[in-house]
Amino acid sequence: MKKRALSILIVLSFVLVPFIAVHAAPTVKIGFTYIMSGPFSAYGQFAKQGAKLAIEEVNASGGINGQKIEGFFEDSTGKADVALRAIRKLVYQNKVDMLIGLDSSGVAKTVVPSIEKMQIPMIITHAATPDVTGSVCNKYTFRISLNLAQNVRAATLLAKETGAKKWTTVGPDYAFGHQSWEYFEKYLKDLNPATTFLPKDQVAFPPFKTTDFSAYITKVMSSKPDGVFVSLWGGNLIDFVRQASTMGFFNGDFEVLFSLGAATEVLTALDDKMPEGLWVGTRYWFLANDSAMNKSFVGNYHKKYGVYPSYNAHGAYGAVYAYKAAAEKAKSTEKMAIVKALEGLKMEIPTGMIEFRKGDHQAVTDAHWGKTAASADYPHRILKPIKIFKGQDITPPVSETGCSIVSGK
Amino acid sequence: MEILLLNILNGLSWGMLLFLIAIGLTTVFGVMGVLNFAHGSLFMLGAYLCMQAMQYFDSFWFGLLVGPLCAVVIGVLVEKYLLKKVYNRDVSYQLLLTFAVLLILDDGVRMIWGSGYHIVEPPAILGGIISVAGQDYPVYRFFLIVIGPIIGGLLWSFFHFTKWGKIIRAASFDDIMAEGVGINVPLIYTAVFALGTWLAALGGALSAPQQSLIPSMGEKIIIESFIVVVVGGMGSFPGAFVGALVLGLLESFGTVFAGRMQMAIPYILLAAILLIRPNGLFRKGV
Amino acid sequence: MMNIQKSHSLSGPVLLTILLFIAPLVMPTYWVILLSEILIMGLMAVSFNLLLGYTGLLSFGQGAFFGIGAYSAALMLQAGHENLFLILLAGMLVPLLAALVVGFFSVRLDEIFFAMITLGFGMLFFSIAHSWIDVTGGSDGLPVFALPGLNLFGVVQLTFYAPISMYYLIFVTVLICVCLLRMIVHSPFGLILKAMRENKQRVSYAGGNVRVLRIAAFAISGAFTGLAGVLFCLFNNMATPEFMHWSFSAKPVIMSVIGGTGVFLGPLFGAGVFFILEQIIIQFTENWMFFLGIVLVPIVLFFPEGVFGTLRNKFYKVAGRGLQPPSARGKRQKNEKGTV
Repeated sequence: MKKRALSILIVLSFVLVPFIAVHAAPTVKIGFTYIMSGPFSAYGQFAKQGAKLAIEEVNASGGINGQKIEGFFEDSTGKADVALRAIRKLVYQNKVDMLIGLDSSGVAKTVVPSIEKMQIPMIITHAATPDVTGSVCNKYTFRISLNLAQNVRAATLLAKETGAKKWTTVGPDYAFGHQSWEYFEKYLKDLNPATTFLPKDQVAFPPFKTTDFSAYITKVMSSKPDGVFVSLWGGNLIDFVRQASTMGFFNGDFEVLFSLGAATEVLTALDDKMPEGLWVGTRYWFLANDSAMNKSFVGNYHKKYGVYPSYNAHGAYGAVYAYKAAAEKAKSTEKMAIVKALEGLKMEIPTGMIEFRKGDHQAVTDAHWGKTAASADYPHRILKPIKIFKGQDITPPVSETGCSIVSGK
Repeated sequence: MEILLLNILNGLSWGMLLFLIAIGLTTVFGVMGVLNFAHGSLFMLGAYLCMQAMQYFDSFWFGLLVGPLCAVVIGVLVEKYLLKKVYNRDVSYQLLLTFAVLLILDDGVRMIWGSGYHIVEPPAILGGIISVAGQDYPVYRFFLIVIGPIIGGLLWSFFHFTKWGKIIRAASFDDIMAEGVGINVPLIYTAVFALGTWLAALGGALSAPQQSLIPSMGEKIIIESFIVVVVGGMGSFPGAFVGALVLGLLESFGTVFAGRMQMAIPYILLAAILLIRPNGLFRKGV
Repeated sequence: MMNIQKSHSLSGPVLLTILLFIAPLVMPTYWVILLSEILIMGLMAVSFNLLLGYTGLLSFGQGAFFGIGAYSAALMLQAGHENLFLILLAGMLVPLLAALVVGFFSVRLDEIFFAMITLGFGMLFFSIAHSWIDVTGGSDGLPVFALPGLNLFGVVQLTFYAPISMYYLIFVTVLICVCLLRMIVHSPFGLILKAMRENKQRVSYAGGNVRVLRIAAFAISGAFTGLAGVLFCLFNNMATPEFMHWSFSAKPVIMSVIGGTGVFLGPLFGAGVFFILEQIIIQFTENWMFFLGIVLVPIVLFFPEGVFGTLRNKFYKVAGRGLQPPSARGKRQKNEKGTV
């Protein structure tokens, strides 16, 4: 009995294997690493939705060089060692051709050296630390999203316009918050040498786990500034805005700039509790651009998921198309060919035209800022008016980034 | 001067919230000898259930009443079917079991309500601001400052002046003797865990108008309430009160004087107290 | 009887060593990487269990020593030191010193108080790593670009860039450490530790200095944990403050309890079970935390001596010789309680 079953199995496999081999056309494999679990899993969920939409669209219109895309998603949990394990799984187990992802700046910074060792191209879509296209950059790592330096540069252009002279900050007490403030001081000082900044011990850096911001709000308000630059994000930002508005923070005594205030997950959660008329920035704003591509992206995304795309959804979506463009330019999906094709690649993504700079692999991309405004057509605050800062005006020159990529081979 | 006053108020309102969560933890430890890692998750559950009940009844007060009670049901199930089995086991097993409960509750809530942020509005009567020494201050924070001692006081009187309270205290001193004089100790344990759950969930519901709701919100608060309990003395009510006040005020004033080391404040407090008084502020030496 | 026990307890480890030596030659690369991580965390768990299982001290701050080891390696590599032995040695000595200081203050406490004070000290180190940007890189941590090489007798130059060569570096280091730890556990010193776990008054009456002995155990555990941290730094090319966070310190606790604190290799086994469980669950669902919790519950409830320990006890019972498995841990008394 056993023998018979075995022989049937063998025969079957002989019949089936060639059949499968013929019909399973080779695919292009893309590995995605995002935060899928824990406190910040909302970011991973958005990114996954954006990536899936892009993969569906590309596959429906014939794939990349005739090959379909297959997406693999792994959970980084926002921790560097777990993220690296996830990336290694994608590279060694799933044998992906391309990596896309990374939310946390700290994770990106510590994982990047390993990307170089695995010799696989990667497009970062969210992590904003200038260092991954700066001091720790390498020839395999690209970034499609707006980085910290670009966004802060845009903020300082805006800050100069407001005319406020004395600035302070509220930012999360980790590298992102501190770097944001450093860049803000540096750029604004360049633009207007007359500006003053409160010393380190008078600005507010609440630890990341803070839920009660009242002490910091008190501290900032009592220092009587003309302008406050806020780099809090996510849950911190939501808590801060609600507590600050009851304490009279937004009564107009000073200018307030939120570098990540226009993130859709924040606006959705706050709804009408977000005060109107505040300057907020983001890495992508779904209404900033009237291009056909953006309209189709926002339309399809909303139809499929019932919400408007966040910047993280946009980053993942755009990165898939960037890979497609590179593969078509190189007429290959071979890893080194992709790296070469991505260098200097100019293309359109929903947010506008971008260019992956040869020198540091950072995408030169526009920054969007706007004033919060109520709208009957949307479930949350929108931006009105919108200010668009052109990529070339806000991207620091390669010489300033500290990046030196040994290109070529 | 205003800064001093405002920081005292900030410290008090944060401290009183910590106090509510810590008394639940300390009661459960005092009676059952279990350090409940999932206490923060019950806190989180309270906030979510309050939000849900609030949407259902369209009233914050109903949410505050119903939400924590629903959490109690889950707490009782956890005690009856899981915790009961590890009372006599080493503390590391208890920690691991309650950690497993934490994982299940946190991820379960995420599966039900999603990973996005939610907010809860305070009721209109507590939504405004009042002026304190020329500074605007939210009414809801005064409410928190007042409600903490009220609930703490009620519980303290319950334990000291009612028959049931005395029975529970008896069981906490010596469960074998209590069993001997005819007290149903397992029932007492279940009741005490239900009480602890209710306190955690009430803390969550009360903090809901104050902070955004995410499934991991309990993980932030659990370590600080551990610290309050240890600093005050495990199982001690007045200890939890003083510990919460001290920690709340230190963290509030830390924003002014501690600079970059403010995140270390709770741990410095913890280590310092344990070195000076190994059993915490309010507990007799063993 | 003693002989039977010996043969039982040695054949297993020898077989395991041979398996671990051969396995990577036939395994897919990703599994080699996973096995490397299991060995590193296993070393951390086994050295942690020197405290929990043998001395009866539940440390919740082991992550600090793991992190200090990782940072010393990262900083040395950054400064251009590429001597592997020097890095391993420094990665043991610096955590040893830190553990001596922490141990000096902590060991007079017991049970949950010991857990809390070690948690406090661990988080202090975390705060320092998080805030001392100039040295530790702050919250981002330190990326590592170059790995040390190993020059064998001036003839062969070994590098560890390929996953499999990294595996053998980890394998050999962990093997040596585990053998050393086993020698310590079976030495007179190890026996006194166990005696202290059971009754520290008696050890004290018999002339043992409980405090010094405990500090020594804590420092040894810290040093080996630090070495695991060095390996983790080389393996992942990074050192980050996360390694020092209490949630990282909880890992060896979980692994030891899963594997069994009463058996020397139990924690290593627990590390393997934990990683493989996690990998399997992640395959099926994004809600892996939920299902990990669901799986942990029966492990705690039905394996009172840990998975490895309980199965082992069952085996001895079935063998029917009434043998007590070596170093099995007795049921402990209920925790001390407070008053309301």
